[in-house]
Amino acid sequence: MKTIKLTAALMLAVAFTTGCSSVPTTTSLLEQSHSDYSVAQQNADVSNYASLELKQAGDALNQADNAAQHHADADTVNRLAYIAKQKIALSQEVAKKKSAEASIPLEAQKRDQMRLEERNNEVDAAKQETLNAQTAALQAQAHSSLLAQQLADLSAKQTERGIVITLSDVLFATNQANLNPDGIRTIQKLSDILQQNLKRNVLIEGFTDSTGNTAHNQVLSERRANSVRGALQLAGITERRIVIRGYGQSYPVEPNDTAAHRQLNRRVEILLSDDTGELVSR
Amino acid sequence: MFLNSVISKYHSLLPALVALGVISGCSSSYTPATAQIAVSSAAINNADGAGGQQYAPTDMNAAQEKMIRARKAMDDKNYPLANSLATQAQADAKLAQSKADSAKAKSAADALQEDIRVLQEELNHANQ
Repeated sequence: MKTIKLTAALMLAVAFTTGCSSVPTTTSLLEQSHSDYSVAQQNADVSNYASLELKQAGDALNQADNAAQHHADADTVNRLAYIAKQKIALSQEVAKKKSAEASIPLEAQKRDQMRLEERNNEVDAAKQETLNAQTAALQAQAHSSLLAQQLADLSAKQTERGIVITLSDVLFATNQANLNPDGIRTIQKLSDILQQNLKRNVLIEGFTDSTGNTAHNQVLSERRANSVRGALQLAGITERRIVIRGYGQSYPVEPNDTAAHRQLNRRVEILLSDDTGELVSR
Repeated sequence: MFLNSVISKYHSLLPALVALGVISGCSSSYTPATAQIAVSSAAINNADGAGGQQYAPTDMNAAQEKMIRARKAMDDKNYPLANSLATQAQADAKLAQSKADSAKAKSAADALQEDIRVLQEELNHANQ
């Protein structure tokens, strides 16, 4: 009985000793290195870009584990674990560097394409601007040549005050203020010009010859000017753009000596402003 | 052929030669750690040149401090300690260099992204 007890105690002692001896040296640094290593192993960038560095780190970690298995002192295990830890960190940095570098060519190509697009946009904008300017110039030219033709049709003259269209006596009913059909047609042409040149205004001036009394002539000149304004308004020109004056027998164009000269003096002059809209009175 | 004849001629000397090799192999780990010191110094210089001090000052300082201790251990003829410290310094320096390299690559990639962002804004603005 005693022998059995002794044997059991001996076996226990052996088991204890063996168990003790199979426990490797562990340090917190070695555990930390293992933890870093499994993080690195799970990082796709590390396996893609730093497999060699991770392999070297793994070898270093194995050395540390071997030392631990062979009961090396904690200092030796820590020294090897530290080297492994630094090598694991190195593999992470190499992965970061290579993944950043890998993105560069494609991104640089993207940037260059965008720069090109921007450049093309600028060129297109400049072309469009030139085209717009040319179109505007052509339109202005066409417009002014149309106006010149219309003014020539009305026998307009360039004077110091501006463009003057003269409505002769024959466009009015004899000794009356109202326009005859030819006069109406002339006013229609003038209203076309005014509608196509919205910034231009008109000053309508009525004149008579020296026959009859001055007061009558003054009234007749005003009524003829007024009649022209009425015709323009009927043709759609707003009153705001029209100024009228009656000058009676003043400002004759010829001496009132012959019937032909007197007829020339009986007239309505229409002063057409430029694009500023300003009218210069006599 | 020549080698074979030499081996056969000095056959009796072979065990002695092997023994000598083993002894010199063993003794090499106790010779001054000059080679490791040189390798680690070069690693520190490279890391410094790559901008290690700017991008990874902690690792650079650790490497330099360990090199000072390694040289001190050399002076004290504690060669295993000198070798160990120099090896750690090398690992620190290589990590510092790697951190500097990755930081530079990242900043180049970031600068590119910023260029693209600005260009995209300009293009969006122009297309409005």
